[in-house]
Amino acid sequence: MLKKRLVGVVTIRNGWAVQSFGYRRYLPLGKPEILIENLDRWGADEILVQCIDRSVNGAGPDFDLLERIGRIGVSTPLIYVGGIRDAVDAVRSVKLGADRVAVDAILRDCPEQLVKISKELGAQALIADLPVRLEGDCLRWLDYRNRREEALSGSILNVLEPRCVSEVMLSDWSHEGSPQSFDEALVNAFPLADMPLIVFGGLSTAAQMQRLLERSQVVAAAVGNFLSYEEHAIQTFKRALKGISLRPAVYSTHGY
Amino acid sequence: MSRRTIGIVDYGVGNHASVWRAFHALDYRCRVSKDRDVLSECDLLVLPGVGAFPVAMSALFECGLVEYLRNQARAGKPMVGLCLGMQLLADSSLEHGFTAGLGIVPGHVVPLSPERWHIGWNSIEVVNGDELLAPSDGQSVYFNHSYVFNAPTEYQACVSRLGRLFTVGVRRGNVIGLQFHPEKSQGVGRSMLKAIVEGLCRA
Repeated sequence: MLKKRLVGVVTIRNGWAVQSFGYRRYLPLGKPEILIENLDRWGADEILVQCIDRSVNGAGPDFDLLERIGRIGVSTPLIYVGGIRDAVDAVRSVKLGADRVAVDAILRDCPEQLVKISKELGAQALIADLPVRLEGDCLRWLDYRNRREEALSGSILNVLEPRCVSEVMLSDWSHEGSPQSFDEALVNAFPLADMPLIVFGGLSTAAQMQRLLERSQVVAAAVGNFLSYEEHAIQTFKRALKGISLRPAVYSTHGY
Repeated sequence: MSRRTIGIVDYGVGNHASVWRAFHALDYRCRVSKDRDVLSECDLLVLPGVGAFPVAMSALFECGLVEYLRNQARAGKPMVGLCLGMQLLADSSLEHGFTAGLGIVPGHVVPLSPERWHIGWNSIEVVNGDELLAPSDGQSVYFNHSYVFNAPTEYQACVSRLGRLFTVGVRRGNVIGLQFHPEKSQGVGRSMLKAIVEGLCRA
């Protein structure tokens, strides 16, 4: 039986892993490789590495970082997000060790690239990262580069409908970094009812994850800051989640 | 026992870095190459792959590796195909139209339906008593694909379940194909790779 996933998120800014609060305040955590190595050892189901300054600066993906991660020899599936501009960037990211890529800015700037990436790598390797919040009943989609919002409708939904991407990461950007604050109404408001969702932003308790993972549309819960506050938090969460098909909590001793 | 050498077939398509790291972590010597002489000196060939079937087959033709791989398999060289690399072993694929494959393991690659894709951790069930995969029976491994290898029963080595059973591992002699990513399946994957390399190289 296919399992639901607990995804460890490492947020990187200016080359350093940071704790992020609402996409506007950051506290340094240290070298990304150390956090990634920890998540690998603690048995995360996937590790999502998001470089939040690459699209803002038009710098393209952080290939040096991917090479450094590759040298660690991570044995956990890796999702890379940050600065991907086209299929060439996406393919190179995979060659360097990413198993899947998530795209953000190009959803706005050149959505036709999604089709190209999907043809090169397959839709299963492609995720759309959507930072959103609710205003009334309406989902507002943030362009974090200029902090402008627009309604999540029309063009972007047309891009996602033909299934160039396999999953959407629904990021509750306004609650990111605040405990127990993920707005579960975001899932109800997301208009594509059969699109698998990864939920992210403000997930800090097992009870909250339990409610979300019990929904058939939610295939994964992604957690960033709240995995950094205690050792083996992934295993603690997994043990607390009851009745959900999850891979058992594992701890790797390989190579340590 | 001398240290075994793994030849990772570099045809420009795939996740060589991850595959190299996995085998290196298991203390194997690794060569990433498209040079037939270099690959021939290796104890076991690994055909990795991420992406679309037609692009990968074109790349294998351009590298002059199609006949080479067929001949190596025919001669009994230990060989492992991973993910797309497993699908390339088939007779054909329907991904983006019909494309002929290597034809090393009988079967055809077809779209996964109605699910469209199979992403994440799923458990495998070993069939036909494959002794190299048997220790991994019931374990969860990482999948990321949208096409499946429909192989005749006698070539199936393991299956997985998405409502129904479908083939996720094939075997013909010294050739094994795995639809999942053992190199990204943590300890379970590494143990499986070790058992496969040692088992095939001893055969």
